Amino acid sequence: MNGSDDDWAALLRAGMDGDSRSYRAFLSAISPVIRGIVRARGRMLGDAQCEDVVQDVLLAVHTKRHTWRQDAPLRPWLYAITRHKVVDAFRARGAAIAVPVEDFSDVLEAPADADPTERRDMEKLIGMLDDRSAGIVRLIGFEGHTTAETGAKLGMSEGAVRVALHRAFKTLSRLRERHVE
Amino acid sequence: MKTDDLISALAQDSEPEAHPARVLAYALPPALLVSAGLMWAYLGLRGDLGNALTTFPPLWRHVLTLGLFGVAAAMGWRLLRPEGRAPLLTLLVPALAAVAVLVWGILSTPQEGWQMALQGKTQMVCLIWVPLLSVAPVAAFLLAFRQGAPDRPALSGALAGLAGGGLGAAVYALHCIEDNPMFFVTWYGVAIAGVTLAASVIGARILRW
Repeated sequence: MNGSDDDWAALLRAGMDGDSRSYRAFLSAISPVIRGIVRARGRMLGDAQCEDVVQDVLLAVHTKRHTWRQDAPLRPWLYAITRHKVVDAFRARGAAIAVPVEDFSDVLEAPADADPTERRDMEKLIGMLDDRSAGIVRLIGFEGHTTAETGAKLGMSEGAVRVALHRAFKTLSRLRERHVE
Repeated sequence: MKTDDLISALAQDSEPEAHPARVLAYALPPALLVSAGLMWAYLGLRGDLGNALTTFPPLWRHVLTLGLFGVAAAMGWRLLRPEGRAPLLTLLVPALAAVAVLVWGILSTPQEGWQMALQGKTQMVCLIWVPLLSVAPVAAFLLAFRQGAPDRPALSGALAGLAGGGLGAAVYALHCIEDNPMFFVTWYGVAIAGVTLAASVIGARILRW
């Protein structure tokens, strides 16, 4: 398993201090691990639906990142969030499962598939946002714009874009809670 | 949306999220003021409050309710992190202390007086006002807990109910003139249990993430 707890912790710490490149590196580094866990636990969901759950976990990691105590080990926190969302996903699909968190350490990482299928769950949720917020999330996500570039393009201040983006993710995770099925 | 695109978008959001401690620091003091203000305006302090706060058994009411508040808040606090564990059996300490005080109350009341001691004179006031005075503190705890990531929302809601209910009962005890443990352990207990049940149901809904 590459990426020691300390590396990830350093990346997330830098990210929480506002370094978006480190934060991106952190999210990219944990994705294969989360995907491995979700697939190992959720074989019956199929790989496509598993990717929806992976995205749920990433959204939860993002909106709850302040609950990680910066002096505490990162993996137990990350596994707990993953476990919580995996159990949620199964419950929402009508199948209760027990997910012992101790098993996670020996799960293999899974790289993203070459299959370019867009995950529709998240897309559907973004469609439920107001047009401007949805536009901001898409511009930044698909085109890789920064908040400053997005602001210039939409005629908004960077600060306004940042606030709108932040609210959009909070709304997305709330919508996710309500519409998970 | 591909996972990579989602990551790009998430990485651009650097607005910090409020920590539960901050929310609690802002929400709990005003909640207590609301609760105390309501009690003071509609019920009033008991006349011999100084005496009630310095002698047992009346003082037991504050020791027990504030003890419950402390233990429940500490447990709830530990469960705000998704990987958090809490020694929930610690809740038995205030519970067993309450039972001990109750038993002592029963033993020190002559048997002919049991029914009167249990019923008291203010049973309905107590059952209505303890929950009312608990609303604001419980709301403050739920609001703060929402900023956490509790793995079991119903349990965390219940702990918010116990903590806020303990505070609400402690505020009520500044007014209440019932000094027999048979009264206050029983009816404060019933009222706090109701508050806890309600907070658990609410928590199961609003503490999900």
